[in-house]
Amino acid sequence: MAVSTAPPPGRARTSVPARRKPADARRRAEGRAAHVFLTPWLLGLLAITAAPMLLSLYLSFTNFDVLSDWDQISWVGLDNYERMFTQDPVFWKSVGVTLTFALVAVPLKLAAALGVAMLLNRERRGTGLFRALFYLPSLLGGSVALALVWRAIFSRDGSFNAFLDIFGITGQPWVNDPDWALETLMVLAIWQFGAPMVIFLAGLKQVPTELYEAAEVDGAGPLRRFWHITLPMLSPVIFFNLVLETINGFQGFTSAYVVSDGTGGPVGATMLYTLHLYTQGFTEFKMGYASALAWVFLLAIGAITALFFSTGRFWVHYADGDGR
Amino acid sequence: MQSTDPHPRAARPAPAQRTSPGRRLRQALTAAIVAVPLVLGAAACSGEDEGTTVEFFWWGGDARATMTQQALDLYQSKHPDVKINATWQTFDGYYDKLATIAGGGNAPDIFQIDDNGLAEYAGRNVTLDLTPYVASKKLDLSNHYEGLTAYGQIDGKQVAVATGENTPAVIYDKTKLAELGVDEPKEGWTYDEYITWAASVTEKSGGEYYGTMDPSSDYKALWLWLRAQGKEFYNGTQLAFTQEDLTAWFTLWQQAREKGATPPADVVHEAVTGSVDTQLVVSGKAATSFMWSNQLAELGKATENELAMVPYPGDLKGQWARASTYWAGSRATDHPEVVADIINFLTNDPEAGAILGTDRGLPPNKATRAAVESAQTDPYAKATFVFENGMADKFGPAPAPPPKGHSGLRNTLRDIAESVTYGTATPADAAAQFFTEATAALSG
Repeated sequence: MAVSTAPPPGRARTSVPARRKPADARRRAEGRAAHVFLTPWLLGLLAITAAPMLLSLYLSFTNFDVLSDWDQISWVGLDNYERMFTQDPVFWKSVGVTLTFALVAVPLKLAAALGVAMLLNRERRGTGLFRALFYLPSLLGGSVALALVWRAIFSRDGSFNAFLDIFGITGQPWVNDPDWALETLMVLAIWQFGAPMVIFLAGLKQVPTELYEAAEVDGAGPLRRFWHITLPMLSPVIFFNLVLETINGFQGFTSAYVVSDGTGGPVGATMLYTLHLYTQGFTEFKMGYASALAWVFLLAIGAITALFFSTGRFWVHYADGDGR
Repeated sequence: MQSTDPHPRAARPAPAQRTSPGRRLRQALTAAIVAVPLVLGAAACSGEDEGTTVEFFWWGGDARATMTQQALDLYQSKHPDVKINATWQTFDGYYDKLATIAGGGNAPDIFQIDDNGLAEYAGRNVTLDLTPYVASKKLDLSNHYEGLTAYGQIDGKQVAVATGENTPAVIYDKTKLAELGVDEPKEGWTYDEYITWAASVTEKSGGEYYGTMDPSSDYKALWLWLRAQGKEFYNGTQLAFTQEDLTAWFTLWQQAREKGATPPADVVHEAVTGSVDTQLVVSGKAATSFMWSNQLAELGKATENELAMVPYPGDLKGQWARASTYWAGSRATDHPEVVADIINFLTNDPEAGAILGTDRGLPPNKATRAAVESAQTDPYAKATFVFENGMADKFGPAPAPPPKGHSGLRNTLRDIAESVTYGTATPADAAAQFFTEATAALSG
């Protein structure tokens, strides 16, 4: 708006009854139209996202229990936050499970995405097909059907154990074994590396081939070229994927919910933070407490993202400008 | 606004005079503002014009769906002014959905619930108080079994009406036991006798097949075990048993596991979290499952083998006439009279009773129960009657339905019992942990 209200140089022309509308008036009309067109989205943002978020902030200081009338809600101050850190052993367990999940699954997923993207970067016969095939799993996203299939494959009588049996290996009851259940979910998350892979592919296409040619002339092997050209040139894309996938990783819910039937079992091995939050809110009706959990979660993810951004300047290189 | 338009667009307004984009936009928005409520309003009206509509929500399977819909159709044919919108789903996720819609203030006018959820909902005033309709005989419970009626009362209010009666039952695979040449389990066994028997089943099978499910994480098995010793699970909103009791319970099943009577932890886990078709007696991994008496027919349909049932081990006074599920109304309903009338129809009408049979347990109405019993041809349903009738004079007094916070407590018991089955905690440590967490679960 600041731009359109500034007096333009050709102001005098408006006084002339011209056939053409003056530039600033047109811009102002367009700005108005833009706002009108944005209104539905803005209303949606306010009504569907912002208002419930503020409400949940309020609820986190109350004993709201989903079912009771609103007039039964009472203010409990910081009780919910206090309980979380002092009286809820499942809270700490879920924090541990979630951190383990994100710390293992996210780097491996990004590594898989980058590796496959590099393999599929060269134009060969059938590359398009392979790109589509590798992308396919992430189209299925956090679907319930996929989690159900996963549970069936990785159970004691599942097809994965039948496959291992061919090689004479006795399998595990993977999803029903506390030592393996979370790892099975990690494999599912890593397998869906299609989305970051596509972004990596686009990033790889942007790397000027002259750099590789020059390096090759200087006698750099593939590893050196990867380390000194691909990684630095790709660092903005890596940064983007890292931030996005970390947030995704922390928010994982569906697979754990479905595979464990909502229990976070066996023995709490798949009790992700989000699952704990859901259980507290919807099966134990402690919605005030669940809201507090959600806000602590939001702050934690915000802090981790901020950490990425503050360290980014040490390793992310932007090709245009000095980049630092 | 000038009438000259620098960007003529394809869509032309009807008036001959060309309008500016701004005015055109306003017209479009006005049209939308007028049209949307019209469409919605029309939809809303069409519902109201046809009379009373009642939302009806329950859980179950296909067979139950057919019966329930038939009974509801019968009601609607007798009351053409009432339309019943029935929705159902399987038990998995039923409570999640009920909580979500009830939390949104749109609780179904009538819904199915069981004692695990009743106090959670009644304690938060979600349920319709049926007491006045019972008093006025609009909802006639005079011919119902008193124990069942009482089991639907919380804080002196009739908050729900039993759909039927069931009792916990050990369901076993008769065919498989005959193949192995092992005796069938007997009524009145102690837990020690039962576990010794189960270990012998495992042994006879060569270790491929296990004698019994491990019910250590199942609140109802623990409850009956406590009651058989003259103890209780809850006293009001407090736990009525001690840490020593729970240690003994976990130890009992740990020893059973060591004797080979129960399957490995992961096999038990599959059945704990799963539904009917993952029960070990159906999946063919163990000879018995700890279930409810009315589930015999449902489990029987899921396997080719012949099933039968006995009461849980231990003194039979631990058992009581339990409401398998209830019908409850929503306090927010616009049609409380209709809600009471439909519940009255489903639990008292002889025709409805004949249609619903024993699917939700034995009918609560004495006359209906007798009629359904004499008309019974299905062997499993007959077995259910024999079982329940045989129990009738051995029942102990009914406890109060579990209190608010029970859902959380069940989760806690399940997770902590599993830490013993998976060997990550000793029975004593697990029991101590349970008592720490249980306080939080019940505090609400």
